[in-house]
Amino acid sequence: MPHIEIINSGLAATIQDLGRTGHQAKGIPVSGAIDQYSHRLANILVNNSEKSATLEFSILGPTIEFNVETFIAITGGDSAPILNDSNISLNTTYPVKKGDILAFHPMKSGRFGYIAFAGNGLQVEPILGSRSTNTRLNLGGYHGRALAKGDCLTIDNCYQMPSLANRSLPWSKPTGNSIRFIKGPQWNLFSESAKQVFKDGPFTISTQADRMGFRLDGPTLEIPQKNMLSEGAVLGNIQITRAGQPIVLLADRQTAGGYPVIATIIGADLGKFVQFASNSPLLFEEVSLKKATAALRSQYRFLGELADSIYQKRYQYPIGPIRKTSKKIEEMIFNS
Amino acid sequence: MIAYKYDFVPAGEQALHIAFPEQIDVSENQLIQELAQQLQSRFIYEITDIVPAYRTLTISFDIRKTTYYEFSSKLKVFLTHYVPDTKNDHGRIFEVPVCYDPEFGIDLEDVAAFGNISVEELIKLHSANNYFIYMMGFLPGFAFMGNVPDRIAMPRLSAPRASIAPGSVAIAGKQAGMYPVDSPGGWRILGRTPITLYTPNNPLPPFQAGDWIKFSQIDRTDYSAIKELDAHGEYQLKIISE
Repeated sequence: MPHIEIINSGLAATIQDLGRTGHQAKGIPVSGAIDQYSHRLANILVNNSEKSATLEFSILGPTIEFNVETFIAITGGDSAPILNDSNISLNTTYPVKKGDILAFHPMKSGRFGYIAFAGNGLQVEPILGSRSTNTRLNLGGYHGRALAKGDCLTIDNCYQMPSLANRSLPWSKPTGNSIRFIKGPQWNLFSESAKQVFKDGPFTISTQADRMGFRLDGPTLEIPQKNMLSEGAVLGNIQITRAGQPIVLLADRQTAGGYPVIATIIGADLGKFVQFASNSPLLFEEVSLKKATAALRSQYRFLGELADSIYQKRYQYPIGPIRKTSKKIEEMIFNS
Repeated sequence: MIAYKYDFVPAGEQALHIAFPEQIDVSENQLIQELAQQLQSRFIYEITDIVPAYRTLTISFDIRKTTYYEFSSKLKVFLTHYVPDTKNDHGRIFEVPVCYDPEFGIDLEDVAAFGNISVEELIKLHSANNYFIYMMGFLPGFAFMGNVPDRIAMPRLSAPRASIAPGSVAIAGKQAGMYPVDSPGGWRILGRTPITLYTPNNPLPPFQAGDWIKFSQIDRTDYSAIKELDAHGEYQLKIISE
């Protein structure tokens, strides 16, 4: 069976997709890629559906041996990937064959990396319609846990990659230290001074940062006197704890929360936020709901246009490896 | 006509709360549960997820298909013309077996002292009630239920315990709950159910918000027997009424 084998686990390597949506009413967290933009981009680069499962890792990528012929693309933080001893570029599709080894240096910047595999990604049994992993609940992915040395993951052989030469996008580190937000449901419960402290910052991402949420260090906010009833928690919500400290709710967040939500990070900036370095100060910048909507839509448009432009160049020179049958015949001859 | 006031509150550019009056009220919550189901089938194209809670209904939608402004005005039209379902069955009643052995019910003595009653009377009071499930979450299988009789409604511990065994049946003030997985928590623990409330291969709980739970007292022998049956997937929760 075509597969990849984990030679070295790296850090927090899990199978992720766009999440287990539609079951929060029964208390099932959404999960999925913490940086959805990078997950989608990786899938587009290898001609997958955006729903295909990718491999997400944190800080140090895994070492992988390929027992399959396919194409890969790596996105997210600057994970310094190495294919068979040569450095390879981020945001670029590469062919891989049996015996190839993919390894990583520790990340030079960013926190999360993604590896997409052509041929519809990592093949594990979906649970409630999703392959994403929630390690806290042992749910989904590969036996509900982070990948470990010796794990073998099934992926399909993929011999065709139309427009291979055009499957590359320059990688650049996100710039600026501002993260945009819209007012949260409990914005008005906070005092004027608390709102000002929140806007003035600066905050840094604390060491208590995982897929569930990032706790922020920085000035303490005065908290509302009023207690509130638990309500549905939304991706990017910024809760203020009883100690006056912000927590940003992320992919593995619980379905409901009882702390007041002062703000929500806009969808278009979530990728930038989760890749933020721990020692660099970040500032929150208020935008309107209209602006937030436009920003996220333009991000989707960018990804859509990228996919279209790659597709339209499929008959331009150089034509990618698309001679599927000849490849198969060749394989039959050499394997017999 | 909807009998309650409500507001739309943006919770992100792809999510909104419909906020109803701030109270813990069974009929208000029944309307929220009903709307959750109705809206999900009516707006199947736009909605990606929906979370009914005590007094809010959180709706996530796909920004590629609609916007907050467009979607909330559609919702407004729908709600203005909405006729609540009078034939609504108002949920099922599930009978959940609970063993109130002191080894499991580590807070029985304290709660009995709080209510100035005996442990036997406490168990009787706790298991006499039908508890309404207002919401599911924060964990899979965790049902936020009410209302615990005032006499035994002891507030939660001031410092939460680091670990609570799965199946623990607990109260916190007027709220009742069951812990599906080992987790930290500050609720007062009265007993334990032998039923598995969460398994990763089959993560959906049998009951949902809008249903009712009735606890029935069992002894240690029953506890072990049911646990054994349940481990082989041969125990069915009794539904007292549809």
